[in-house]
Amino acid sequence: MGIKDLSFKKSLWVFHLSAGSCNNCDIEILDLLTPRYDVERFGMKLVGSIRHADVLLVTGIITKKTKARVLEVYEQAPKPIIVIAIGACPCTGGIFASGYNFAGPLDKVIPVDAYIPGCPPKPEAMLAGVMKLLAPPPPEQANANK
Amino acid sequence: MNIEQYIIDIKDKFPDITNVEVINTKRLMVYIPQSLLPKITDYWFNELQYRYVIVTAMDSKDGYELIYHYSDDSSGWIMSLNVLLPHDTPEVESMTSIVYGIEWIEREIMDILGIKFLNHPKPERFLLPESWPEGDYPYRRKIRKEDR
Amino acid sequence: MGKKTIVPIGPYHPLLEEPEFFKLYCDGETVVDMEWETGYNHRGIEKICESKTFEQVFFVVERICGICSTSHPFAYANAVESIGGVQIPVRAKLIRSIVGELERIHSHLLWVGLAGHFLGYNTVFMWAWKYREPVLDMFEIITGNRNNYAMFTIGGVRRDIDETKATELLKVLDDVKKKTDLLVGAVMDDPVIHARLKGVGTLTAKDIHDFGAVGPTARASGVDIDVRRDDPYAAYDMVNWKVITTPEGDVFAKAKVRLLEMYESISIIKQCLTLLQKETPGDIKAKVKEIPEGIGIGHAEAPRGEVFHFVKSDGGNSPVRHKIRAPSYNCITTFRRSCIGGTISDAAIATAAVDPCYCCTERMVQVYDYHSGKHMMNAAELIKFSQQKTEELRKKL
Repeated sequence: MGIKDLSFKKSLWVFHLSAGSCNNCDIEILDLLTPRYDVERFGMKLVGSIRHADVLLVTGIITKKTKARVLEVYEQAPKPIIVIAIGACPCTGGIFASGYNFAGPLDKVIPVDAYIPGCPPKPEAMLAGVMKLLAPPPPEQANANK
Repeated sequence: MNIEQYIIDIKDKFPDITNVEVINTKRLMVYIPQSLLPKITDYWFNELQYRYVIVTAMDSKDGYELIYHYSDDSSGWIMSLNVLLPHDTPEVESMTSIVYGIEWIEREIMDILGIKFLNHPKPERFLLPESWPEGDYPYRRKIRKEDR
Repeated sequence: MGKKTIVPIGPYHPLLEEPEFFKLYCDGETVVDMEWETGYNHRGIEKICESKTFEQVFFVVERICGICSTSHPFAYANAVESIGGVQIPVRAKLIRSIVGELERIHSHLLWVGLAGHFLGYNTVFMWAWKYREPVLDMFEIITGNRNNYAMFTIGGVRRDIDETKATELLKVLDDVKKKTDLLVGAVMDDPVIHARLKGVGTLTAKDIHDFGAVGPTARASGVDIDVRRDDPYAAYDMVNWKVITTPEGDVFAKAKVRLLEMYESISIIKQCLTLLQKETPGDIKAKVKEIPEGIGIGHAEAPRGEVFHFVKSDGGNSPVRHKIRAPSYNCITTFRRSCIGGTISDAAIATAAVDPCYCCTERMVQVYDYHSGKHMMNAAELIKFSQQKTEELRKKL
């Protein structure tokens, strides 16, 4: 087990960054904290600063004005960090891709580990996405990596 | 509200009005020259206590159209003032001294259409990113400009 | 005046859901001036709409803001239908009103939760969001999605509400009503909330008029406006309900207006459902061939106030100009009157009180709680102190 696997084993701390979203994904992320979904039972919690975080959640399209800020937040993040694009907007630009203030999908700005598409993705989908990312790889793939 | 009477009254009060038109159910559009704007804004906003709604700016064939929307909530009518600015000198007096809330939308129109608001308290960039080139206005019709 | 301290906040800050940047000029604890920088959330939606067809624009305006994803299509539909002179079927009118009011309930619950969170009253936050879930489930049953409902179309709605869905909805509404009673109790009878919210961020009727503020913000200052009553659309003139107003103008009044409006919404939905059950199942959409040349102005009462859409058509298949005004655009500006002169800690809730929707406005402002207490206490002392204070307040009431 490498240091990266060890650091993501449990109690993920999450920082949420809204680049230029319509609020839906942000609300669904907050919804995860509230009684019905309650991700805190997995040790996950939202933190106030990127410097405390293991995971960076990005919602919304990257506008020309937020692009530099997204880069800066990514640079401040302690490495290794998992970057997850939540919703159709950071994955591809979605419905706003033809706008004049669109600066490209998230993976053109910073490296992305997981994409959770949907408009907005349901809270269950977000949980499933994170779990899939963290689950140990299937045996054949693990062997191939050796 | 008796709209026929209202149209006669407002035409009497401001003889410079070029045209008054009922564009739809409960929607009135008043076409005015630029010089009349402060007077009629003051009359609607302060005297009749119409609620300020928003300003629509539009690049049309004959010039830049500024449409100031007000709402008469006692009757549900939306009253609009239409001012046409020429393409060459898009300048108009800022209404911030009469309507406080109008400051943001005037700055936004400055950004997107390049219309100059004279005596605006804070004529700075509002919406567009810092890297946006000066003199490029996303809502201006570019094809028409080259045709001219 | 003493030395001014500038407190910069943003663009990414723990208190803020969305990006924006603002400066707070403070003299000691008092806010003397505020400045804000916007445009982080600017997506150029009005321009995108000009490149879509009239039918497609619904899906764009719905994504202006996740919370108001019925109100924007509502206003847009009113605007476009007024150009074409489209008469929509009664059934569609009723369904539109039902979805609109359900959205109001979900949005107000969300606000009550967030306001509690801003005050550090996290119990209310968890409660309100827990009781919001059945409403979202209802949306999923009726429209197919928890948010972004894609329910509206030109001339009507896209999905019908049948008998099974109606019974389910009635059941949920009864449940929501009980939970609202509970929340009203938690907010209205709590001495700490009274002390924290009364007299904070007061706006007078003149302030409201100066900035053109709308919705619960205006109604909490005694300005009796509501688009649903003043310029009735959909089914709002077919049912009985009243506009909630209160003259105080402080944050507490705004909370009160929102909580009481939820009861009205529940009653509107119930009446609409009764009318719907009387209607014979039939058309939910009028046939619309084309939108003629003309100007359409439509507005609708969103949970935060009036949404305003201006659509110009040249007879083609997409709008030539589409101007959108979200309620927060006018409401947020009022914090110049509500925050300046108050303390920094009051500024957070005074801004939150207008329920600013930042993506609607494509710009946003929020205030950070700046703590500069010299007097230190340990946890036990602090708890004792707060208990004493609560007790004193309770006696006063």
